[in-house]
Amino acid sequence: MQKPIATTRSATGIPTGRLAIWWVLASEVVIFGGLLASYLMFRLGHPEWANAAAVTNTWIGAFNTFVLLSSSFTAVLAHQAAENGDGKLAAKYLMMTIAGAVTFLGVKSFEWYSEISHGYTITTNGFWSFYYTAAGLHAAHVLAGAVIMLFIAADAAKGKELQRVEYIGIYWHFVDVVWIFLFPLLYIAK
Amino acid sequence: MSQHTEHKGERHGSHHPNYKAIYFTLLALLVVSVVGPFFGILWVTLITAFGIALVKANLVVQNFMHLRWEKRIMKWMLATSLVLMFLLFAGVAPDVMRHEGARWVNDAALAAVERGIAAPHHEGEAAAGEASGGAVTEAAAAAAAPGEQAFDAKGAFTTVCSTCHGTTGAGDGPGAGALNPKPANFGSGAFWEGKTDEELVKAIREGGASVGKSALMPAWGGLYNDAQAKALLAYIKTFKK
Repeated sequence: MQKPIATTRSATGIPTGRLAIWWVLASEVVIFGGLLASYLMFRLGHPEWANAAAVTNTWIGAFNTFVLLSSSFTAVLAHQAAENGDGKLAAKYLMMTIAGAVTFLGVKSFEWYSEISHGYTITTNGFWSFYYTAAGLHAAHVLAGAVIMLFIAADAAKGKELQRVEYIGIYWHFVDVVWIFLFPLLYIAK
Repeated sequence: MSQHTEHKGERHGSHHPNYKAIYFTLLALLVVSVVGPFFGILWVTLITAFGIALVKANLVVQNFMHLRWEKRIMKWMLATSLVLMFLLFAGVAPDVMRHEGARWVNDAALAAVERGIAAPHHEGEAAAGEASGGAVTEAAAAAAAPGEQAFDAKGAFTTVCSTCHGTTGAGDGPGAGALNPKPANFGSGAFWEGKTDEELVKAIREGGASVGKSALMPAWGGLYNDAQAKALLAYIKTFKK
């Protein structure tokens, strides 16, 4: 397949793929940033939300933070391996990162199941609306990242398109960073 | 550092700091952010929760995402997004965070706060809150409005209280693990010793702190009126052994 010309040209001196992923993230900053900023202003204006926040389970949140931090670590090791030309090792680290994503989503499902079965749903009140919207949008990003990573890992194992390992890694670290802020906002601030 | 390395050519990716050290630093910071709130001091919690979140995010962005070796244009791009986010906050927050000003009052928001914090409930206010798009949804209003309908104490206990107190009242609900002190065990005789009904209803409606108990027990007065709290207490007494 012929490559689009844009992949080989760069006015900024930054590889086009990497520039593109940063553009995606710049827009994601506004998406998540807008959501979290809205949550924050409502939370500060509504002291009664603390009653709802008291229900979220800090330990589950902390465990998932640990899972995402670890998956970020394996993602950056994959990047390092890809740069050394070791596609097989890069693919292995990417699969470990995917395992982290699956663990995260599994824990999240359990957590939501338990909360929903106790009657806390997205329509319960303002806090729970934000809780499910923000964590849900984030979980969708985890899922999307894991799926894309599967394709990139398959290529990397054959030593193809190794530069993509870095790009998916940059995206993955961003998903990690979003969770780093969601954790104190939804779980620690009681 | 970035200034120096930026001019070293196009292969920015060849920078690989000690990832393991950064990873363990991140884990240590995570532990601090979880331990912080146990002191129960507001400013300590704020620093360990949000201050550390900033430090962690910065570590990840600079080292894992390699932003410190990235060209300056990229940093400006991201800075622009962040500025837009703060502009949104600064522009909207005054209207959302304050519920009254010199010439205006947000009745819906005030009513929502009042409903949420153990205040007497008036159905009219709830309706007004819905109509003008208050932060409280229909479900919350419905839960707060049961009024004359028969009150299902067992159902309320299962939906709300059991999260921490457990379905059998033993203080072992799914939320209990995170709490210190632990939620009350209604099966234990020691719990019931020297406690009056009045005091217990007050704890349900105004929170644990109102009767000198743990502040982790929230105030449920927004959900249950006096009669409903008494019905709840009667149900809770069935756990007594």
